[in-house]
Amino acid sequence: MTTPAPNEPKSGIIDRVKVMFPLDWEIVRHMGAEPIPYHLKKWWFCLGGTIMYLFVVQVATGIALTFYYVPTPQEAYASVAAITREIRFGWFIRSLHKWSGNFMIVAVMLHMLRVFFTAAYRHPRQLNWCIGFLLLGTTLTFGFTGYSLVYEQLSFWGATVATNLAEAVPLAGPWIAYFLRGGPEVGENTLTRFFILHIGVLPTVAFILIAAHILMVRLHGVTELHFAGEDVAEEKRHFQFWPDHATTEILIGVVLMYLLTIMALIFPAELGEAANPNETPAHIKPEWYFYFNFRLLKLTSLKLSVVLTMVIGAVAFFWPFIEEFIARRWRISDKVPVIAGVFAFLSFLILTVWEAFAN
Amino acid sequence: MGVGLISSYGMFAVQGLLFLLPQRLKAPTRRLFAGQINQFQIGALQGVLDLQGNEILVKRDQQGLRAFNSTCPHLGCRVHWEAERQRFFCPCHNGVFNADGVATEGPPAAAGQSLAQVPLEVDQKSGVVYLEVKDVRKVTT
Amino acid sequence: MTLDTKRIIVAVLSFLFLVALLLVAYQESKRHRVEKQLEPVVTSANSGCVKCHKTDAPALVKDWESSRHAQLGVGCVDCHQAEKGDIDGWTHEGVLISALVTPKDCARCHTKQHQEFSKSHHAKAGEILASLDNILAERVAGMRGNIADAVNGCWQCHGSIIKFKRDDKGQILRVGKDNKPVIDPDTWPNSGMGRLNPDGSKGSCHACHSRHSFQANVARSPENCGKCHMGPDHPQIEIYNESKHGIAFYANRDKMALNKPGDWILGRDYSAAPTCATCHISGHMTPQGINAGNNHDVGERISWTLRPAISTRINRVTYDDGYKEDYPDTRPLPKIGDKIETVEKVVENEAMVSKKILRTVKTILTWQERRKNMKGVCLNCHNDTYVDNFYKQFDDLVILYNEKFAKPAQDFMNKLSADKVLNPNAPFEHEVQWVFWELWHHEGRRARHGASMMGPDYTHWHGMYEVSKHYYQKFLPEVVNAAATKGPAMKQKYEQLVREHLTKEEHLWQKGLKPEEAEAMRKSYEERYK
Repeated sequence: MTTPAPNEPKSGIIDRVKVMFPLDWEIVRHMGAEPIPYHLKKWWFCLGGTIMYLFVVQVATGIALTFYYVPTPQEAYASVAAITREIRFGWFIRSLHKWSGNFMIVAVMLHMLRVFFTAAYRHPRQLNWCIGFLLLGTTLTFGFTGYSLVYEQLSFWGATVATNLAEAVPLAGPWIAYFLRGGPEVGENTLTRFFILHIGVLPTVAFILIAAHILMVRLHGVTELHFAGEDVAEEKRHFQFWPDHATTEILIGVVLMYLLTIMALIFPAELGEAANPNETPAHIKPEWYFYFNFRLLKLTSLKLSVVLTMVIGAVAFFWPFIEEFIARRWRISDKVPVIAGVFAFLSFLILTVWEAFAN
Repeated sequence: MGVGLISSYGMFAVQGLLFLLPQRLKAPTRRLFAGQINQFQIGALQGVLDLQGNEILVKRDQQGLRAFNSTCPHLGCRVHWEAERQRFFCPCHNGVFNADGVATEGPPAAAGQSLAQVPLEVDQKSGVVYLEVKDVRKVTT
Repeated sequence: MTLDTKRIIVAVLSFLFLVALLLVAYQESKRHRVEKQLEPVVTSANSGCVKCHKTDAPALVKDWESSRHAQLGVGCVDCHQAEKGDIDGWTHEGVLISALVTPKDCARCHTKQHQEFSKSHHAKAGEILASLDNILAERVAGMRGNIADAVNGCWQCHGSIIKFKRDDKGQILRVGKDNKPVIDPDTWPNSGMGRLNPDGSKGSCHACHSRHSFQANVARSPENCGKCHMGPDHPQIEIYNESKHGIAFYANRDKMALNKPGDWILGRDYSAAPTCATCHISGHMTPQGINAGNNHDVGERISWTLRPAISTRINRVTYDDGYKEDYPDTRPLPKIGDKIETVEKVVENEAMVSKKILRTVKTILTWQERRKNMKGVCLNCHNDTYVDNFYKQFDDLVILYNEKFAKPAQDFMNKLSADKVLNPNAPFEHEVQWVFWELWHHEGRRARHGASMMGPDYTHWHGMYEVSKHYYQKFLPEVVNAAATKGPAMKQKYEQLVREHLTKEEHLWQKGLKPEEAEAMRKSYEERYK
C-alpha cells in the first residue's frame, strides 16, 4: 500500500489508521452476521447475557466504591457510612452495587435452572456446566465477602459463623478457616483478606472463568433446541447477531439499569449497627442466598450440614457425568433428571423460605 | 433509540463522575468557643488551640478581632508574634508578616503570600468569640 | 419480536431510565447532608480533666458531653478556672480551679443574663437568713451545733453563705498535697437560688440550669421552679398544676419546643401553654410582631408583692450602679437623680451585714408598667378585656384579704407589741404569734397566690376559707389570751377591742343572719334536698 502524500484529503488519514490497526472488517461483519438460533429470541434464554451485564455493573460500581472504602476494622464502617450519607450519589452507587449483586445471584440461579431444564449440559458440553457451577460458587463468594466488608454487626458475626462452618469441613477445614480468617479469630487480617478476595482474587477468577465459559459456548456453538409441538420455518430458525441479538442485549441492559435504579430509589442500602466483637446480636442471619445452608445447619449438626452441603455441591458439579452414568447403566426416562432438578430446587426454596420466616 | 441510550447512560456516567469527585472543596469546619471579648486586650495577641492542637493566633487591635493560622504559608513552620515590632516572624527562613498577616520579608513575601485567616465571629449579645476551625470528628451511627 | 419493535422498546425504556435517574438526582439534592450528632469537642485544656474523670465520674462527663457547651468546646476548665487570690481556688493536677462555679464565672460569657439575674429577687433569695423563717429553722427546730433544718431545708432553696473551715487564727484550713480548702459542710453542697458566694456574687445559675448538661428543657419546665416554689407557704407549682395553664402544658408537653436551642418565644416557637418561665422570664411576641426578649430579672413583670403580711403594689427603682429596689406603693417614690441612702445586705467575713450605700436614682419602673410587661405575655393568647378583667378579679382578692383580715390582724399585733404583751426578742412565744404567722405566711399567701395564677381551689379552700376560719376561731381569741398573760386589765382591754372590731359590717355575720336571710336560706335548702 502506498503512503498517501501529506496534502491528501481526510480519507488518507483513515487509510493510515487502517494500516496502523489492520483489523479485517470483513471478519467483524461476518461475526456480526452469525446466525443465532431462533430460541434466543425468547427472553428466558437471555439470562446469561443478563448475568454478564450485571457483572459489568458490579465491576463499575465496585471500582467506584473502592475510591472511598477503607478496609480496616476501625475505618470500614465509617467509610461505608460516609459513602451512604455524605458523598454525592454515594447512596445511589452503593445501592446499585447491592441490588445488582442480589439480582446477579438470582440471575445465576435462574440461568442454571434454564440450562438444567433444557439439558444443555449434556455431552459434549459437560465442561461448560462445571465452569458454570464454579461461577456460581464465585458469585456466592463475591456476595459473602462483599457483605462482610460493610463491617456491620451482621457482617462481622456472619463472617464468624461462616469461617466456623469452614472449619467443620473434613480434613482441610481448620486450614481453610485459618486461611480465610488470617488467624485463629476473625480480626484485622480477616477484613483485609476478604477485601483482597473481593476486589482482586475473585474478579480475576471470575474473568478467567467467564472467558472460559464464553469460549466454550463459542467453541461448541449455541445448543440448537427444538421444542416439541413447534414448527418453525427454515428461514426463521436463525437470526443475526448484529443488529438483532445485540439490540436484545442492549434492551436487557436498559431494563436492568431501570429496575436497579428504581430499587435504589425505593429500597436504598442502609446501615445497621457497627460491628461489636464483644456483643453478639440476638439474631444472626446470613444473606438470603445462604438461608438454605443455615436452615440445614439448624436442622442437623455442624459437621453433618457441612458434609451434606459438600456432597450436594459435588453431585451438582459432576451432574452431567452422573446423569450420563446413570442413564447408561439403568436406562431411565428423560423425565428423571427433570424430576430430580425440580426436587432439588424445591428443597432449596423450602429451606430458604423456612429460614426467612424463622426467628 | 440511540438518543435515548446516550442520554440515559450519559446521565448515569455524569452521576458516577460526581460520585468520584470529592465534593468538599473545603474541609468540614466546626464552631469553637475561643473566649470572651474582654479577655482579649487591644494590641495583644492570644493563642487558641484548634481541634488538631495547632495554635491559632487571635489578635485584637483598633479594628477588632482577627484570627491567624500560625502555619507559615512558605513551608509550614510555626510563626510567632513579636509584639515590640508588631509583626509575625517565621524562624525557619526568616519570613516576616505585618500586623495584617501579609508577608513583607523573606520567601513568603517573594511569593506574595499571607497568613491564612481563620473565620472569627463575635456574638453581639454576649461578647463570646467563636472560631471556625477544621473538624476532626469521626462518623458515628 | 421484530428489530424495530425492539428498538422502540429500548428507546422507551431508556427514557424511563433517564426519568429514574432524574429522580435519583432529585433525591440526592434533597438529602440532608451531615445531620448526624456532632461529637463533643474536648479541647487540649480540658482533655486532662476528661481523661481522669471519664472513669472517676463517668456520668458527670457524659452529662457534659451531651451539653451545648461541649459542642462548642466549652469544658471543665472554662467554668472551673480560678484566679490567683480566689480563696476557694486550689491547684488540682496542675490547674488552678475551684469546685464552686458562681454567677461571676458564668457571666464571663453570659453577661446579659448575669446583669439581669444579679439584680433580681432570685439573687436576693439568700437574704432571708435573718428572717423569722430562719429563726424557726435555726432556733425553734434547731439546736446548738446542729442547724440541720436550715441546712437541709431553707438553705437548699434560698441558698447558704458559703463558708470555710478555719483555724484559730481565722485562716482557711487546707488538706492534701494540693492544699485543697476545706469548705464548711453545712454550706456546701448548695445550689440555692440566692447562694452567697465567696467572690461576692449572689445567686447560683445552676439552681435552674442544672449542671452539667445545662439542658434548656429543664430550665423551661415548670417542675424546675416547683422545686422551691411549692408547699404550704407559696404553692405556686400546685396552683399552676390546678390551673388551666398547667393542664394545657402537661397535655401538650411535646409541642412546647422545650429543647429548642437559642430563643424560646411564645407566639413564635410555641403556643400550646405557658410555663413559669413563659410569664416570668421568657420572651414573647408583641402585637407589633416583634420579639420582646427574655429577662432573667423575675420581678420585671410583677405588680403586687404577695409575700408580706399586707400586700402592696410595688414600684421598681433602679440606681446608677444597677442596684434595684422595690418600693411599696405606701412609700413615696423618689425622683430620677435623687440620692438615696440604700440598705444592702452583703456578706462580710462570712456573715450577713447590712450596708448603707448612697446611690443615685437612675430609672423608675412603676407597678403599672410592670403589669403592662406581664400583660404583654397574656395578650398572646387572651384579649385585653379578658386580661384587664382578670387583673380586676385578682386585685379585688388581694384587697379583700388586705382589708378584711391582714390589716386588722397586723393592727392587733402592733397594739400587742406596743402594750408590751409581745416581746420583740421572742417572736414565737405566744400562740397568737404562731397563728398570725401562719395567717399571713401560709393561708394568706395561698389565697393571694391562688388568685394570681388562677387556682380557684387554692384561692378559696386552701386560702381564704382557712384565713377566715383561723381569723375568727383562732386569731381573735388568741389575741385575748395573749393579752391575758399581762393581767386581767389587759385582757379586758383587748376583749373590748375585739368586740368593737366585730361590730364592723363585714364581721357581723358572726351574730347570725337576719330573719329574712335565714328564712330564704332554709327555703333554698329545702328545695335542693327535697
